[in-house]
Order: sequence, then structure tokens, then C-alpha cells
Amino acid sequence: MGNIITVQNLTKRYGDKTTVKGISFEVREGEVFGILGPNGAGKTTTLEMIEALRPIDDGEVTLDGLDVQKDAAKVKNIIGIQLQSTAFFDKLNLREQLRMFDSLYGETTDPDSLLAEVQLTDKAKSYVENLSGGQRQRFSIAAALINKPRVLFLDEPTTGLDPQARRNLWDLIRDIKKKGITVVLTTHYMDEAELLCDRIAIMDGGRIITINTPANLVKELIGRGFTKTQQVEQANLEDVFIDLTGKAIRD
Amino acid sequence: MKRYIQIILALAKAYRLRFFRDKTALFFTFLFPLLFLFVFGSLNSSNSDISFKVALFNRSDSSFAKDFVNKSQSDKTLKVNKDVTDFNTARELMGRGEIDSIIELPKEFGVPNNNGVPSGKMIVYYQEASPQSGKTIAAVMEGVLDGINKSLGQPEPPLGVTQKSTATSNLSPFDYVFSGLLGFTLLSLGIFGLANSMPAEKKTGAFKRLRASPITAAQLIFANMLHYLLIGLISVVLMIAVALLVFDFNMRGDWLTLATFVIIGIILMFGFGLAIGGWAKNENQSAALSNIISFPMMFLSGTFFPRFLMPSWLQDITAFLPLTPIIDGMRQIITESKTLFDLGPELGLIGIWIVIIYFIAIRVFRWE
Repeated sequence: MGNIITVQNLTKRYGDKTTVKGISFEVREGEVFGILGPNGAGKTTTLEMIEALRPIDDGEVTLDGLDVQKDAAKVKNIIGIQLQSTAFFDKLNLREQLRMFDSLYGETTDPDSLLAEVQLTDKAKSYVENLSGGQRQRFSIAAALINKPRVLFLDEPTTGLDPQARRNLWDLIRDIKKKGITVVLTTHYMDEAELLCDRIAIMDGGRIITINTPANLVKELIGRGFTKTQQVEQANLEDVFIDLTGKAIRD
Repeated sequence: MKRYIQIILALAKAYRLRFFRDKTALFFTFLFPLLFLFVFGSLNSSNSDISFKVALFNRSDSSFAKDFVNKSQSDKTLKVNKDVTDFNTARELMGRGEIDSIIELPKEFGVPNNNGVPSGKMIVYYQEASPQSGKTIAAVMEGVLDGINKSLGQPEPPLGVTQKSTATSNLSPFDYVFSGLLGFTLLSLGIFGLANSMPAEKKTGAFKRLRASPITAAQLIFANMLHYLLIGLISVVLMIAVALLVFDFNMRGDWLTLATFVIIGIILMFGFGLAIGGWAKNENQSAALSNIISFPMMFLSGTFFPRFLMPSWLQDITAFLPLTPIIDGMRQIITESKTLFDLGPELGLIGIWIVIIYFIAIRVFRWE
């Protein structure tokens, strides 16, 4: 599999503060690539530069052979973006929202089939402001899929969701991957990264510290002689919660 | 190109759907100009003044005429407006009901005739729409002149009064004021509405989401313009309806001409709102800037106060304010039935402003 995204020496400065310090990495076609890191590590800024939403101060990003800075318009046509602060117009129902975005791309995606894909068929006539957190994230992903993108960017898609809604969203992301769409996501949840991501980049202080598969990262750590002081339980509290409340989504 | 316009239309449609669902916004958007119209329209339609305000023009050099002017200044039945020095201005003032009549002393008035006594006829201009005040003044003046005639002891009365009605027929003061009120509505709709709504959409991140799609700043601006053009037109139509039903508005010009001119005017005024709202990062910035930009136009473009009452140097400067040609043009269409062809200078000035303001709006637009 070839690389669909190549990032070289990517840098972002705000005044005398450098938030992204010359990072380089590749994303392979068809994989789920995770960017992990504490708040302020530069994850969102990195994503927004790759998405042609923020000017690149230094370095180069190539997406499906296109230079992101020079061909921003072409790049926007082949990517789908779910932003951290998802904001859609108010007083516009889901079907109308999707129809509007559909016209912006000049494609002919059927809004209803897309809503069915994210299990929002019965909400077609609701406004975004009346959706629950999980529904809103699913809708946000549906809107990002309207132009049949080759790469889907998800910025902290499960932050603030209840365990059921998170599991539901994981299933959705797996379905998207099955269709051959490359997914780049950021998250604070390690279990999520471990379950969804084929490879992970860990960022801190504007730099990428390491890139590998989740399994290899764990192996590397153990290879360095790491041991946990506490015996790992066979189940954790979240398992208890899901066991007691079920997997069905509530919204 | 077709795709380009499709994107604009799709976004404008989304704005339209949202706008008509926001009942509160609808209410205030359309009700405010109407309330405003009621208040200012009522002020200008009632004209139950009993004192006679006149403008006096003396074109005669005779000492009799000069004496007459001096005496009239101290007369109690006539209040001579001394600020008016130009006949056309006086005519417009009379049209607006600010003076009741114009008295003109022609060149030969008061010049001694063959018998060596002052003679001639003064002209009393009145408005065809309200002939009573003109006739009354003429009667008063005839009485005065008869007294002088008798004292002169001539068999043929040498002094007299000629009455003339002016061309501002069938028009009420309201008809003159209305274009100013329309102009004020376009100004407030155009600047304040957008200057509020655009930063609000930046704050929610709705613009940021749009930016992820292939839409450009110019397309977003034109989509907004298209949407607000509709709102502006609805507002103007409502105002004209109220003007016709409540204030007996007289339209002398062509409705299609007015509609075309109003559309061009709306495009210009909303350009300011788009530039301010597109530039501002938040409502504080846009509120301050929209006040700075709208205040000169609010007071100096002829919305409430007719520009001809200003000193001439101020008239020369304010003629170039963007709102001035819009109000002037609308008034000329309404009261003088001018055509778009007659309004070339106004349209030219509006056109220049449109190019300038949309260029600025696209350049200074910020997505966040």
C-alpha cells in the first residue's frame, strides 16, 4: 500500500512561539492513523494544516499527490473533515444541511442514504441544535462523507460521549475503513487508539516522539523493562458499566 | 462558472430557510422599519400650522420694494424664512410643507409708473395640493397693497398680486420624506444586521465548517448578499405598502425604475455590512466599526434632515457619501418621475462605491 499523505518538516509558528516543530510522517492508504498527545501538543494545528485550513509556515504536505498549499481547493474536494468544535447552521434540518453541503461539492450524494448509514434516518427533519452529543458526532461524520472523500479527518470524535455512543462511533469508523477510506484521527483515549488505529503517532510539545503500531509500541515499552506495579484485572470499571447498561445507544 | 454560481445559490437558499424559521429575527427585521415609518411619517403628514411661513425673494431694486421687504420682516402674520436664498430650495421646502408660500417681487415691482407712483404685481406661489394657504396669503397681501393703493390716490390700482401654483403638484411632505426613510432602512438593515450575524457565525464555528468545503470567501459573501437582497426587498415592499395605505403616498415615477434603483441601493448598503461583519472577529469589533461608518450617513445623507439645509461646503462633501445618491435618486424617481437614464450621476457614484466596498469585503474577510 502506498502513502496517501506525506508530511515533511511541517512547522507552525504563532509569533515567537512554535507550536508544530518540523514534524515528518506518512499516512498509508486505507489505514486508520491516530495522532495522540496531551492538550497543547499541536495535534489540531497539525491536522488543520494538512486539511488546508491553516497556512503552513514551513515544510510540505502532499495529499494524494497534491501539494496542500498550492492545490488547496482540489485537496478540499477529496477530503472529509470533522472538526473538534463541530458547528453547523442552526434552524436547518439534517437533510437540508446535507443537501447544502452536497451542492457545495457539486456531487450527487443522496442525503437520506447517508443519514441511514449513520443511523439518523428518523432525525432527518431535526435541527442539529436538538441532537444529543453522539448524534451530533455521527451527523458531523455524515457531513464529512458527503463528497465521497479519500481521506477522512476526525478530531477527537468521541470526546464527551457516553460509553454506548463511543462504541457506536467506533463501529461507524470501522465501517468507513472497510470502504477503503483512509482515516486520520486524534484522541485522548488510549483504548480507542488501541482498538481503531493501525498505526499511532505520539506528539508532545510540537514534535512527534514515536510512530508505530499499537502492539509494537507496547512491545517496545516492555522490551525496555517496563512492568506495572499492580496486577492487571481481567475487567475494568468500564466493562462493568457496559455489562450493566448494555451496548445499545441511547440517543 | 456554473458550479461557482450553484454554490452561491445553495448557500443563499440555506440562509433563506434559516431566516424564515427564526420568528424573533423576522419580527424585528421587518417591524422596526415599519415602526420607524409610522413615527416619522406621522410627524411629517400632519401640517396643521396656522401661522404663514413664507420665503421672500426681492428681485427689484426700487426703494419701495426694499421698504416692503423691511416691513414684512417685522410683520406678525408672515414669518419670513431668511435662511432660504435659492428659489429651487424654497420650492422644495414648500413641497415638504416647511413653508406655506413663496412671495416674489419681480424686477419691475415698486418702480414708479408714468404717474410717478410705485406700481407692479408681486407673485405669490402656492402649492397646488394645498391652495388654501397660498390663496390666504395672496388675499392678505392684496389687502396690504390695496391700502397703499388708496393712499396713493390713483384711479387704476398700480399694485397687485399674481397667484401661481408651482410644479410640485399632488405631492405631500410625506412623499419627500419617504425616500429618506427608505434610505435609513437600507442603512440600518444593511449595516447592523450583517455586522451582528456574521461574527456570531464565526463564534459558533459555522464558517469554519464551511471553509472545510471548497467554498471561497467571495462565494460566501455573494451568497449573503443574495439572501439579504431578498430581505431588503421585502422590507422596502412592506414600507411602500404602509406608505400607500396609511400615508397616501404619491408615486409619480415608474415602479420598475424604483425597484431597479432600490435593488442597486440594497446591494451597496449590504456591502458595508458584509465588509464589517466579514472583517470583525467578534461583535464588539463590528459594533464599534458599524457605528463609525453608519453615523455620518445617518445624519448627513438626507435621511432625516434634507441636505439642502446644510451649508454648501457640507453639501459638497456629503454628496459623496454612499447613501446620499441612493436617497437622492429614490426621491427624484418618486417626486420627479426621473428615469434610470436621468440618474446617471447617482448610479455612477453608487457603482463606484459598490466596486470599492465589495473589493474591500472580499479582501478583509476572515473565516474565524
